[in-house]
Amino acid sequence: MKEIDVRQGTLALMVLKTLDVLGPLHGYGIARRIEQISEDLLAVNQGTLYPVLLKLEQEGSLASEWGVSENNRRARFYRLTRAGRKQLDAEAQSWQQTAEIIARFFAIKAQDLK
Amino acid sequence: MRLSFFEPRTMARLGYALLRRFLRRLASSLAPWATARQAEERLRVEIEGHLALQTAENIRSGLAPTEARRQAALKFGGLEPIKEMYRDQRGLPQLESLIQDTRHALRRLRMAPVFTIAIVVTLALGIGATTSIFTLVHAVLLKSLPVVNPAELYRLGKKSHCCYFNGFNQKDEWSIVSYDLYKYLRDNTEGFAELAAFQDSTPILGVRRSGRSDAAQSYPGEFVSGNYFKMFGVGAYKGRMLTPGDDQSNASPVAVMTYRLWQERYGSDPSVIGAIFNLDDKPFTIVGIAPPGFFGDSLRNPAPDFFLPLNTEPYVDVEADLNLPFQHWLELIGRIQPGANPQALEAEMRVNLKQWLLAHWNEMSANDRARFPEQTLYLSPGGAGITTMRELYQRWLQILMIASGLVLLVVCANIANLMMIRGLERRRQTSLSVALGARVTRVVRGNLIESILLSLLGGAAGLAVAFAATGLILKLAFPSLSGHAGVSISASPSMPVLLFAFIASLLTGVAFGVVPAWMAARVDPIEALRGASRSTARAGSLPRKMLVVLQAALSLVLLSASGLLTAALQRIEDQDFGFELDRRLVANINPRLAGYRTDQLHLLYRRIRETIASIPGVSSVGLGLYAPPGGGWASGVWVDGHPAPGPRDDNFSSWNRVTAGYFEVVATPTLRGRGISEQDTAGSRSVAVVNEAFARKFFGSEDPIGKHFGPIPRLSSYFEIVGVVSDARYFTSGLDQPTGPMYFTPEAQADYTRSAGALFLHDIVIAGGPGASVSAASVLQAMASVDPNLPVISIRTLRQQVAGQFTQPRLIARLTSFFGILSLLLASIGLYGVTAYNAGCRTGEIGVRMALGADRGDVIWLVLRGALIQILWAMLIGLPLSFASARFLGSQLYGMNPYNPSVVFAAVLALGASVFIASLVPAFRSSLTSPLDALRTE
Repeated sequence: MKEIDVRQGTLALMVLKTLDVLGPLHGYGIARRIEQISEDLLAVNQGTLYPVLLKLEQEGSLASEWGVSENNRRARFYRLTRAGRKQLDAEAQSWQQTAEIIARFFAIKAQDLK
Repeated sequence: MRLSFFEPRTMARLGYALLRRFLRRLASSLAPWATARQAEERLRVEIEGHLALQTAENIRSGLAPTEARRQAALKFGGLEPIKEMYRDQRGLPQLESLIQDTRHALRRLRMAPVFTIAIVVTLALGIGATTSIFTLVHAVLLKSLPVVNPAELYRLGKKSHCCYFNGFNQKDEWSIVSYDLYKYLRDNTEGFAELAAFQDSTPILGVRRSGRSDAAQSYPGEFVSGNYFKMFGVGAYKGRMLTPGDDQSNASPVAVMTYRLWQERYGSDPSVIGAIFNLDDKPFTIVGIAPPGFFGDSLRNPAPDFFLPLNTEPYVDVEADLNLPFQHWLELIGRIQPGANPQALEAEMRVNLKQWLLAHWNEMSANDRARFPEQTLYLSPGGAGITTMRELYQRWLQILMIASGLVLLVVCANIANLMMIRGLERRRQTSLSVALGARVTRVVRGNLIESILLSLLGGAAGLAVAFAATGLILKLAFPSLSGHAGVSISASPSMPVLLFAFIASLLTGVAFGVVPAWMAARVDPIEALRGASRSTARAGSLPRKMLVVLQAALSLVLLSASGLLTAALQRIEDQDFGFELDRRLVANINPRLAGYRTDQLHLLYRRIRETIASIPGVSSVGLGLYAPPGGGWASGVWVDGHPAPGPRDDNFSSWNRVTAGYFEVVATPTLRGRGISEQDTAGSRSVAVVNEAFARKFFGSEDPIGKHFGPIPRLSSYFEIVGVVSDARYFTSGLDQPTGPMYFTPEAQADYTRSAGALFLHDIVIAGGPGASVSAASVLQAMASVDPNLPVISIRTLRQQVAGQFTQPRLIARLTSFFGILSLLLASIGLYGVTAYNAGCRTGEIGVRMALGADRGDVIWLVLRGALIQILWAMLIGLPLSFASARFLGSQLYGMNPYNPSVVFAAVLALGASVFIASLVPAFRSSLTSPLDALRTE
């Protein structure tokens, strides 16, 4: 299976979901989690995560503060805000719907349309 | 539940939450920008932390530390693009990066002071020259009078025809009218809200504040109609302006003073308003001060300092024009009714003119009647007033505008060249930035910002140059007597001028920043990093060469144009004027100012001559109505025994009145008969001495001696011709034509057939003996002993007097020469730069050639060859352009051949020599390179 490109919006959704599940996390943690879940199928430079994090923070979906990482370094920890949770719900729902519709299209075979 | 939603507290809480959210949004979008450095730092720490964690992870999975770090970095991706994306996301990215780029550009400019100063100075000169000329163009050719709504003003006449006309016909058009005709037009033309009349010339008045004992000072004044200020919509600065009530024959005489005189001469003394001033010894009450900046109805030198009602003209002047319907001396400007059609108005006025002429049919001469059908008038926009100056200087200003524009072009080419060379020198740096992920648009923008910054700096410096230069040009072009108002042009830049300089500099910056920026960005990173100095073919050298060729060609045009102007001026100044320039002083007086009556004049002149003749060193002295060169009087000539001239025949001749011995004083040789002598007295027969042109024009091959002629038809035997003198140039107009006819009559024979004004002689000519020098002070002293109340207006040598006639052409020739030399200098610098740069690029090649046996001569030739080809191209392009510009200059060369080969040759030589030297220097320098060093540089 080929590695696939990922659109920014999708990456943002992954970030939101990750933080929803795991709670406050630093950038590296988020990146690792996405890698693990997607099982290295995503061809994304880890660095591209940071502009996305900033964007989400500016939109008010995330909040961040300085903390200490596992190896005792200063790190920025991100957490989901209430607005972020709402956004995640909305996006998850619409994603679900889109996926269902697309799935239905693929499920339909020519003979079914008679 | 539903109700509680509208409860005030809930509402307040909701509002508060919304507000807080809004503020947070605002803060989060602005904060990153305000704390750009903090944001950069945060990203850096995050990346650092990220990489550390990933490296640790990699080590745990068994990689060596360095490899672990490398893998981590690879996984993270290119740092620069991510930083860039991050910054873009951070908010207001355009503005911020613009500020960043600007600061970067400023830093780069600071690091290259020589380059920066060279560009700013070059630009300052180019923009300064163009802007100062544009200031003049704007003031003389484009600007309206400082009055209310100048677009509503219309004036009589298409052209200005100064200053007096006599009779009932005017050639081409009626532009000057008598008081009678003015009143007729004013009362019978309906489309004007207000139609004002004013004198076409500004007579010099002897001014003395009543009750003060100091000597009278002379200031120009102007007679204007009572509604003059109302028509312009100009209110008083202090006191009041003239009203129609002041302009009545029985009104008490009042006058308005300009703000300038009030401030400079009377220290803004409020008691001036209401005070009595004696103007030409007649008491006037000053009723008000005109507002600052108001200089009357036309741009002129000198500008009037007093405005007097038309009806006070007979009160001031013994021989008044006011009540003579046939004496035309007034210009008209009117404000049309809102919505009135100027064409309909013009038609209406034409009818009125004919009506007025018909009403005076009985007073008209046969000549006037014959020309009656063709009499007409025109209205033209009058917002700029009477545009004599515009007509006079339009051509000159065009020439200067083109010349300074060419200089600006040369400057631009020079700057483009410098920028390109700088771009090439920075090529490695640019490639490095591109290789490290800098975006091409950003690189181009950086260069563009740098050039815009430079051009704005240059523009600002240029404005300073322009301010200084305009002041200087104005002072040189329009010299004014001390205490008098100069021409009303301000040297300080006005809004359009500022705008012009700003746009000119910005255009220069953008146009000449784009190409180098584009060239810098076109660089292939790998190619550049590899070091491209090995090749002999240099990319982008063609545009630079073309720029140098353009510069040199334009300088050739400017040089030959300035050469032509200078040569023409020289020729005209060195011509035989028909009188002696050396050891001659001219003192200008006005006996009218001191209140002399016409019957006292002969004695006065005798005393002046005797007193001055007794000054040691003076060999002879004479007076004339006007000494050469100067304004003059002219009228028709009727020769006794010849058929009367027809209505279309030209029988005009200028004339002058002189004292005995005058021709000896100015050293105009008498060819036949005699000059004016002591034997011509009031009692003897009326005689005249004519010049050669007069004899030729009216007598052809006949001998004029003993013939008679007169100034009016019925007096055709009034003067007997007793002598013929050689032609002398009294007039500086029409210098490309032969001297016109002129006759001289004796001062002693008061000639009452004409205006009494001609009885007052204005110029005293004093000849010094050989080797003697007569000082101006001794003449002033002598004049004070004649009459302390008779002021000497000016005293100059005849040579200065003649030179004064060429002030403006000389200034223009000098300015054009300055432009020519400036552009030659810039072109030489440009060629030097290109040649030096090319030679520098070929150091390696030269080293190889020398190692293979080329000698220094070969190397010099190698470098020089390119430069010489460029010079040849420049001449090939420049020469036809020079000839075209010579054609354009044609009418300003006083009849000199515009294709003067020696001037063109000199220009070619000057260009060739200086650019040759400019290219020889780098050629010589590169011939000194040692082959070993040259090969090692790579």
